[in-house]
Amino acid sequence: MALKKIIQMTKPEFKELKHEELLSDVLSNAKDKSVVSWWWLSVPLYIIAALLMKSMYNPQSSLISEIHELTNKERIFSVMFFLILPIIFMLINILSIRKIHILSESPISFKFLGTVWYNVLIILFSILIILIYVL
Amino acid sequence: MNFPWFKRIGIFFIPATVIGWILFAGEIVFAVYIFRDVDSKSHSVSDSLINFVFYLLISGAVYSLVAWLTSRRYKSV
Repeated sequence: MALKKIIQMTKPEFKELKHEELLSDVLSNAKDKSVVSWWWLSVPLYIIAALLMKSMYNPQSSLISEIHELTNKERIFSVMFFLILPIIFMLINILSIRKIHILSESPISFKFLGTVWYNVLIILFSILIILIYVL
Repeated sequence: MNFPWFKRIGIFFIPATVIGWILFAGEIVFAVYIFRDVDSKSHSVSDSLINFVFYLLISGAVYSLVAWLTSRRYKSV
Protein backbone atom coordinates (compact mmCIF):
# COMPACT_ATOMS: atom_id res chain seq x y z
CA MET A 1 0.00 0.00 0.00
CA ALA A 2 2.75 2.38 1.06
CA LEU A 3 4.82 1.45 -1.98
CA LYS A 4 1.81 2.12 -4.25
CA LYS A 5 1.43 5.55 -2.66
CA ILE A 6 5.08 6.33 -3.16
CA ILE A 7 4.90 5.32 -6.84
CA GLN A 8 1.83 7.50 -7.35
CA MET A 9 3.56 10.46 -5.73
CA THR A 10 5.08 12.82 -8.23
CA LYS A 11 7.51 15.64 -7.99
CA PRO A 12 5.98 19.02 -7.13
CA GLU A 13 5.35 20.91 -10.35
CA PHE A 14 5.86 24.63 -10.72
CA LYS A 15 4.54 26.39 -13.75
CA GLU A 16 7.40 28.88 -13.53
CA LEU A 17 10.68 28.39 -11.79
CA LYS A 18 11.76 30.94 -9.16
CA HIS A 19 14.84 31.55 -11.27
CA GLU A 20 12.70 32.51 -14.29
CA GLU A 21 10.64 34.90 -12.17
CA LEU A 22 13.85 36.50 -10.90
CA LEU A 23 15.20 36.84 -14.44
CA SER A 24 11.93 38.41 -15.58
CA ASP A 25 12.12 40.96 -12.74
CA VAL A 26 15.76 41.76 -13.54
CA LEU A 27 14.92 42.23 -17.25
CA SER A 28 12.02 44.54 -16.40
CA ASN A 29 14.17 46.52 -13.97
CA ALA A 30 16.96 46.82 -16.53
CA LYS A 31 14.48 48.17 -19.09
CA ASP A 32 13.15 50.71 -16.54
CA LYS A 33 16.70 51.86 -15.77
CA SER A 34 17.54 52.19 -19.46
CA VAL A 35 14.41 54.34 -20.01
CA VAL A 36 15.41 56.69 -17.16
CA SER A 37 18.97 56.77 -18.57
CA TRP A 38 17.57 57.63 -22.00
CA TRP A 39 15.61 60.61 -20.63
CA TRP A 40 18.68 61.99 -18.81
CA LEU A 41 21.03 61.40 -21.76
CA SER A 42 18.56 63.10 -24.11
CA VAL A 43 19.57 66.47 -22.56
CA PRO A 44 23.29 66.37 -23.57
CA LEU A 45 22.36 64.71 -26.88
CA TYR A 46 19.94 67.54 -27.62
CA ILE A 47 22.62 70.14 -26.77
CA ILE A 48 25.13 68.33 -29.02
CA ALA A 49 22.58 68.28 -31.88
CA ALA A 50 21.84 72.00 -31.39
CA LEU A 51 25.55 72.93 -31.26
CA LEU A 52 26.23 70.74 -34.30
CA MET A 53 23.59 72.63 -36.27
CA LYS A 54 25.00 75.94 -35.03
CA SER A 55 28.51 74.97 -36.12
CA MET A 56 27.19 73.94 -39.55
CA TYR A 57 25.71 77.39 -40.10
CA ASN A 58 28.78 79.17 -38.71
CA PRO A 59 31.85 78.19 -40.77
CA GLN A 60 34.30 79.71 -38.24
CA SER A 61 33.23 77.36 -35.44
CA SER A 62 33.13 73.60 -34.90
CA LEU A 63 31.23 71.29 -32.55
CA ILE A 64 34.27 70.89 -30.30
CA SER A 65 34.88 74.64 -30.05
CA GLU A 66 31.18 75.19 -29.27
CA ILE A 67 31.36 72.56 -26.51
CA HIS A 68 34.48 74.25 -25.09
CA GLU A 69 32.66 77.59 -25.15
CA LEU A 70 29.70 76.06 -23.30
CA THR A 71 32.09 74.55 -20.75
CA ASN A 72 33.68 77.93 -20.11
CA LYS A 73 30.27 79.58 -19.65
CA GLU A 74 28.50 76.82 -17.68
CA ARG A 75 31.19 74.71 -16.05
CA ILE A 76 29.10 72.85 -13.43
CA PHE A 77 26.21 72.18 -15.84
CA SER A 78 28.48 70.85 -18.59
CA VAL A 79 30.53 68.62 -16.26
CA MET A 80 27.31 67.26 -14.77
CA PHE A 81 25.54 66.50 -18.07
CA PHE A 82 28.52 65.63 -20.28
CA LEU A 83 30.72 63.71 -17.85
CA ILE A 84 29.19 62.66 -14.52
CA LEU A 85 25.72 61.55 -15.69
CA PRO A 86 26.95 59.56 -18.74
CA ILE A 87 29.50 57.75 -16.54
CA ILE A 88 26.82 56.95 -13.93
CA PHE A 89 24.33 55.68 -16.52
CA MET A 90 27.02 53.73 -18.34
CA LEU A 91 27.94 51.93 -15.11
CA ILE A 92 24.28 51.30 -14.21
CA ASN A 93 23.59 49.74 -17.62
CA ILE A 94 26.81 47.69 -17.59
CA LEU A 95 25.81 46.28 -14.19
CA SER A 96 22.28 45.54 -15.48
CA ILE A 97 23.70 43.63 -18.47
CA ARG A 98 26.09 41.74 -16.21
CA LYS A 99 23.23 40.75 -13.88
CA ILE A 100 21.11 39.52 -16.80
CA HIS A 101 24.10 37.64 -18.22
CA ILE A 102 24.72 35.87 -14.90
CA LEU A 103 21.05 34.98 -14.37
CA SER A 104 20.34 33.88 -17.93
CA GLU A 105 23.47 31.66 -17.91
CA SER A 106 23.76 32.10 -21.65
CA PRO A 107 26.90 33.00 -23.57
CA ILE A 108 27.13 36.43 -25.19
CA SER A 109 25.40 35.88 -28.51
CA PHE A 110 23.12 37.77 -30.92
CA LYS A 111 20.12 36.45 -28.97
CA PHE A 112 21.53 37.82 -25.72
CA LEU A 113 22.40 41.16 -27.35
CA GLY A 114 18.85 41.28 -28.74
CA THR A 115 17.55 41.10 -25.17
CA VAL A 116 19.78 43.88 -23.85
CA TRP A 117 20.09 46.01 -27.00
CA TYR A 118 18.52 49.05 -25.33
CA ASN A 119 21.10 48.99 -22.51
CA VAL A 120 23.91 48.57 -25.06
CA LEU A 121 22.57 51.57 -26.98
CA ILE A 122 22.60 53.68 -23.80
CA ILE A 123 26.23 52.65 -23.12
CA LEU A 124 27.23 53.60 -26.69
CA PHE A 125 25.51 56.99 -26.39
CA SER A 126 27.21 57.59 -23.03
CA ILE A 127 30.62 56.84 -24.56
CA LEU A 128 29.83 59.16 -27.49
CA ILE A 129 28.88 62.04 -25.16
CA ILE A 130 32.01 61.57 -23.02
CA LEU A 131 34.25 61.39 -26.11
CA ILE A 132 32.76 64.57 -27.60
CA TYR A 133 33.21 66.34 -24.27
CA VAL A 134 36.82 65.30 -23.57
CA LEU A 135 38.08 65.87 -27.13
CA MET B 1 8.92 48.99 -0.71
CA ASN B 2 6.80 49.27 -3.88
CA PHE B 3 4.96 52.42 -4.81
CA PRO B 4 2.25 51.76 -7.35
CA TRP B 5 2.19 55.34 -8.64
CA PHE B 6 3.26 54.77 -12.28
CA LYS B 7 3.58 52.02 -14.85
CA ARG B 8 5.98 52.09 -17.76
CA ILE B 9 4.74 51.83 -21.34
CA GLY B 10 7.62 52.08 -23.80
CA ILE B 11 9.74 55.07 -22.82
CA PHE B 12 6.91 56.79 -20.96
CA PHE B 13 5.78 56.42 -17.38
CA ILE B 14 1.98 56.56 -17.24
CA PRO B 15 0.26 57.48 -13.94
CA ALA B 16 -1.56 54.59 -12.26
CA THR B 17 -2.89 56.31 -9.15
CA VAL B 18 -4.27 59.70 -8.11
CA ILE B 19 -0.87 60.80 -6.75
CA GLY B 20 0.69 59.80 -10.07
CA TRP B 21 -1.89 61.86 -11.97
CA ILE B 22 -1.24 64.86 -9.67
CA LEU B 23 2.50 64.63 -10.43
CA PHE B 24 1.74 64.29 -14.15
CA ALA B 25 -0.58 67.32 -14.02
CA GLY B 26 2.19 69.24 -12.21
CA GLU B 27 4.55 68.34 -15.04
CA ILE B 28 2.05 69.61 -17.65
CA VAL B 29 1.45 72.87 -15.73
CA PHE B 30 5.22 73.39 -15.44
CA ALA B 31 5.64 72.77 -19.18
CA VAL B 32 2.91 75.31 -20.02
CA TYR B 33 4.44 77.88 -17.64
CA ILE B 34 7.92 77.37 -19.12
CA PHE B 35 6.56 77.66 -22.66
CA ARG B 36 4.83 80.96 -21.87
CA ASP B 37 7.98 82.27 -20.17
CA VAL B 38 10.30 81.20 -23.00
CA ASP B 39 7.89 82.49 -25.65
CA SER B 40 7.70 85.93 -24.03
CA LYS B 41 11.52 86.30 -24.20
CA SER B 42 12.19 84.78 -27.63
CA HIS B 43 12.33 86.51 -31.01
CA SER B 44 11.09 83.77 -33.32
CA VAL B 45 9.18 80.48 -33.37
CA SER B 46 12.38 78.42 -33.72
CA ASP B 47 13.96 80.37 -30.85
CA SER B 48 10.94 79.51 -28.65
CA LEU B 49 10.92 75.84 -29.61
CA ILE B 50 14.69 75.29 -29.25
CA ASN B 51 14.71 76.70 -25.71
CA PHE B 52 11.38 75.12 -24.74
CA VAL B 53 12.44 71.60 -25.79
CA PHE B 54 15.57 71.92 -23.64
CA TYR B 55 13.52 72.69 -20.51
CA LEU B 56 10.96 70.04 -21.49
CA LEU B 57 13.70 67.39 -21.66
CA ILE B 58 15.08 68.38 -18.25
CA SER B 59 11.62 68.29 -16.65
CA GLY B 60 10.90 64.99 -18.44
CA ALA B 61 14.14 63.54 -17.05
CA VAL B 62 13.23 64.58 -13.50
CA TYR B 63 9.69 63.22 -13.98
CA SER B 64 11.01 59.88 -15.29
CA LEU B 65 13.37 59.58 -12.30
CA VAL B 66 10.53 60.24 -9.82
CA ALA B 67 8.25 57.87 -11.76
CA TRP B 68 10.89 55.12 -11.80
CA LEU B 69 11.49 55.44 -8.06
CA THR B 70 7.77 55.18 -7.37
CA SER B 71 6.78 52.78 -10.15
CA ARG B 72 5.02 49.47 -9.71
CA ARG B 73 6.98 46.25 -9.77
CA TYR B 74 4.90 43.68 -11.66
CA LYS B 75 5.38 40.12 -10.53
CA SER B 76 4.31 37.16 -12.63
CA VAL B 77 1.82 34.87 -10.86
